[in-house]
Amino acid sequence: MLSYIIRRILILPLILLGVTFLIFCLFSLLSPMERLATYINDPSVLKNPQSAQRLIDKYHLDEPFPSGYVHWLKSLLRFDFGWSPTANQPVWEAIMQRLPATMELVLYSIIPVILVGIWLGVISAVHHNDILDQFIRVTAIIGWSLPTFIFGLLILFIFYGMLGWLPPGRLSTWAQYIVYAEEGFKNYTYFITIDSLLNGRLDIFWDALKHLIGPIITLSYISWAYLLRITRSSMLETLRKDYIRTARSKGVDEKTVIHQHARKNAMIPVVTVAGMMIIRMLGGVVITETVFTYPGLGFWAASSAQQLDYGSIIGFALLFAFLMVVGNLIVDVSYALIDPRVRLE
Amino acid sequence: MNRIVKKLLSNTTSLIGLILLFVFVIIAVFAPIIAPPLFSDPYQIPRMSWDTEPQPPGFPLSDDMIFIYESMGEPIIRDKAIFGTAQGGYDIFYGLIWGTRTAFRIGIVTVVFSMLIGVILGSIAAYFGGWLDELLMRITDIFLSIPFLVAAMVLTTILGRGLDKVMIALVFFGWMGYARVIRGSILCAKEDVYVMAARALGVKDYSIIVRHLLPNTIFPVMVQASMNIGSMVITAAALSFLGVGAPLGYADWGQMVSFARNWIIGSPGHAGEYWYAVFFPAVFIVLFVLSWNLVGDTLRDIMDPRLRGEL
Amino acid sequence: MVNDNKTKILQVKDLKTYFFTENGIVKAVDGVDFEIYQGETLGLVGESGCGKSVTAFSIVKLLDYPGKTVGGQVFFRGEDLLKKNEKQMRQIRGKEISLIFQEPMTSLNPVFTIGFQITEALKVHYKISKPKAQEKAVQLLKKVDIPIPEQRINEYPHQLSGGMRQRAMIAMALACDPVLLIADEPTTSLDVTIQAQILELMKTLLKEFNSSLIMITHDLGVIAEIADRIAVMYAGKIVEYTDTRSIFYNPLHPYTYGLLTSIPRLDMDIEKLDSIPGLVPDPLHFPEGCKFHPRCPFATAKCRKEEPVLKEVENKHLVRCWHFEKVKEEAKKIAFTGRLAVSE
Ligand SMILES: Nc1ncnc2c1ncn2[C@@H]1O[C@H](COP(=O)(O)OP(=O)(O)O)[C@@H](O)[C@H]1O
Ligand SMILES: [Mg+2]
Repeated sequence: MLSYIIRRILILPLILLGVTFLIFCLFSLLSPMERLATYINDPSVLKNPQSAQRLIDKYHLDEPFPSGYVHWLKSLLRFDFGWSPTANQPVWEAIMQRLPATMELVLYSIIPVILVGIWLGVISAVHHNDILDQFIRVTAIIGWSLPTFIFGLLILFIFYGMLGWLPPGRLSTWAQYIVYAEEGFKNYTYFITIDSLLNGRLDIFWDALKHLIGPIITLSYISWAYLLRITRSSMLETLRKDYIRTARSKGVDEKTVIHQHARKNAMIPVVTVAGMMIIRMLGGVVITETVFTYPGLGFWAASSAQQLDYGSIIGFALLFAFLMVVGNLIVDVSYALIDPRVRLE
Repeated sequence: MNRIVKKLLSNTTSLIGLILLFVFVIIAVFAPIIAPPLFSDPYQIPRMSWDTEPQPPGFPLSDDMIFIYESMGEPIIRDKAIFGTAQGGYDIFYGLIWGTRTAFRIGIVTVVFSMLIGVILGSIAAYFGGWLDELLMRITDIFLSIPFLVAAMVLTTILGRGLDKVMIALVFFGWMGYARVIRGSILCAKEDVYVMAARALGVKDYSIIVRHLLPNTIFPVMVQASMNIGSMVITAAALSFLGVGAPLGYADWGQMVSFARNWIIGSPGHAGEYWYAVFFPAVFIVLFVLSWNLVGDTLRDIMDPRLRGEL
Repeated sequence: MVNDNKTKILQVKDLKTYFFTENGIVKAVDGVDFEIYQGETLGLVGESGCGKSVTAFSIVKLLDYPGKTVGGQVFFRGEDLLKKNEKQMRQIRGKEISLIFQEPMTSLNPVFTIGFQITEALKVHYKISKPKAQEKAVQLLKKVDIPIPEQRINEYPHQLSGGMRQRAMIAMALACDPVLLIADEPTTSLDVTIQAQILELMKTLLKEFNSSLIMITHDLGVIAEIADRIAVMYAGKIVEYTDTRSIFYNPLHPYTYGLLTSIPRLDMDIEKLDSIPGLVPDPLHFPEGCKFHPRCPFATAKCRKEEPVLKEVENKHLVRCWHFEKVKEEAKKIAFTGRLAVSE
């Protein structure tokens, strides 16, 4: 098992190298001048051809392929991602500042889906529960044909526009004042829902939660649909397998048959779908945050794209590619944990 | 093939899908009659007024606009916005009707080209195997390592606004699935006797691929493609929604929704006042995607009977 | 060979198991009777689809949906299993009655170790500790002649060959010293040399454990060496039931006769091998009269109308045929001794 994980981690740098190369190729579609603009925070420099050329040389922006790439890669390793005019701060800082908000949203979307979704899928396969089956069918149809941005707008329309329950943004103004400006409020994790509890501020916790619910639903409804569906059908299929009958023929009780013999096998395709789901979520973050003006990485990336802030958008792409590669690693390791055929290969 | 057509017509859900699709085709074909264009570029949505906020269905052409059109010497064909206007006075009805053409164009063009690339790379990888296969598959992995929407967003931003740029981006990051499927099924088919036989007879590599392998493996790819049209259209719409897709005023459903974004909540005391600004575009997008999904799902059932009856 | 003084382990009486499918009722098992004594082996023979597996699963009540046993009795040590509830059945399964399945590939759970699966029944029925279970697993694997058992118990099914897997299945079935073993085509999916090894192993172990066995197969050849008595099944019913010797030397049912002529024999050319013409009838549309008549060379008008009953026509030799005498005549011309000679 350990050797499998180590082998898998050793490939990681290779994939990352490939990904950075791909993104560098995209980046190279821009002229040296445009690329220079991503490194400087004072656009007036660009007006002077001589100083601009000096900077282009300094950043190796018009060098031929291998050395240009190597220099760019080196700057990445120094966490020098350039300057973000959209955020008015260095790209790396802008990323680090917004990462907790996005992580809070993504983790709160993924964890319930995986825990509750799998559990519900198993239940629905074992007991023929009409309400649950109906729920799965409906989420599947919705998840299938309602694009995220329309679904999100719908949530906003109903739960904010009509009912006033789930406001956009991350915090109400009064809470922002306390969280960001007040001395007394300590940030431990930068997850507001957690920090507010650690600071004993239930009111802020409640405020943050209200702002999170809409984005969480929007980001995860498709995943609910997929995961419930695949868990249910995979479980149904597994329960028909010969080895399930073997287990029963040994006198194993039904609970053990389902939760030990069947579930572990049924999880193999579920892991695949869960992996695809995480990937979808990374894309969905951009739309969800934009719909709810939730101040995370996705919202910032969309604003950067609109303002042709190339540096920010490249930095964002690098980060999300990295997250995705790590996500895939987690998926592969989960495979190996479940299926001895994978880890012993 | 006959069997498939019969199946598609006999299944209720796919029949609904086909009917919806047919309606959209009609709309796209007869767009010039349903919503006659005012400008030489029919994809430019005409504005009914200069108003910032959306105006309700039945909103008449404003005096300013009548004046402008008259001074341009253009005849005034429509005097009402049937579905209302979006922010900036854009006629929602017009945008949706012509947006249907845009949607078909995006869906079909991107899917055909990404399928083409995928099929070529996938069959080369599978047929020749060895290091070439390894290389192509690693490249595929790398392309798959950036979330699709993020990748498309980055590339469109770099290429600049415009529908063609959107399509390039979608194709550039959309071929990997096809490559994998075609590679898988060719690897299976390759073992088959008829390929061995063809090889033994000294038939050229490319003609083995084109004549023997592809016809037997292309069908699953076509099914996958038909199911991807919906998601390509959604992604393109999402890019427009994010403001990096179609240029301002272009007849595109995503743009229509993005027009509605700031108005979704309504004004104080009038919650949902501008419902029409998002409702009509949403209906068009959802039905379009649904129709492809319904047809695609039935195709998949026909292909893989094991999945039938599961939901 | 048959000894009536031995204790009767299992008696199946008029067992009926139907599948209530969307297309109609499938009478997979329709009135089956047989019995097994201590230490005895019964062969249950018939082509694929004639209801052998369903009979086995009916006995231990592990039927697939939508199957249901609708009639009959299954006396196991004097108690009717069909009257027992699920909990009582669980205490019998794996402990007193165990099963060995046809496909060792799919009948072992791919995500658990061999050791875990072999000792699971012990853990369920005797709640033994983990180290004890390990020890027992090694012993069992030794019994079924698996080399380096200490290593094998930590391996997964996919790391074993087909023959090894079937040995592991046998070890699994024997874990709790069952009174009755039901082996559903245990050698069908294995190649011939391995088949012989597995059969040999089962024979030895049966003697050692003094268990009874129901050996299900579609191949009379497999059963000749191991069974004391044979029940030949066709379309959900038993068509001939007697001791092994009589089946081979004195077949009375045309179906048995057909099965015998299709056994490959050393003294006969492969080309001359004739299998029974036609197919097992569709269980939704059984023919009227004798269900075998469409394929039967002896069939007459009577066979097409009236279904014969199973009756004792010679000493302890039951057959379900109107024309068993003709079959007897015909069978005398060929002596089916090739196979049997091996075991004598
Ligand atoms: N789950 C099921 N649903 C419907 N019919 C079944 C099912 N399982 C078995 N049958 C029917 O029962 C009959 C006997 O099957 P089986 O006992 O498996 O045959 P075999 O003698 O080859 O073991 C077959 O005709 C089959 O169609
Ligand atoms: Mg069977």
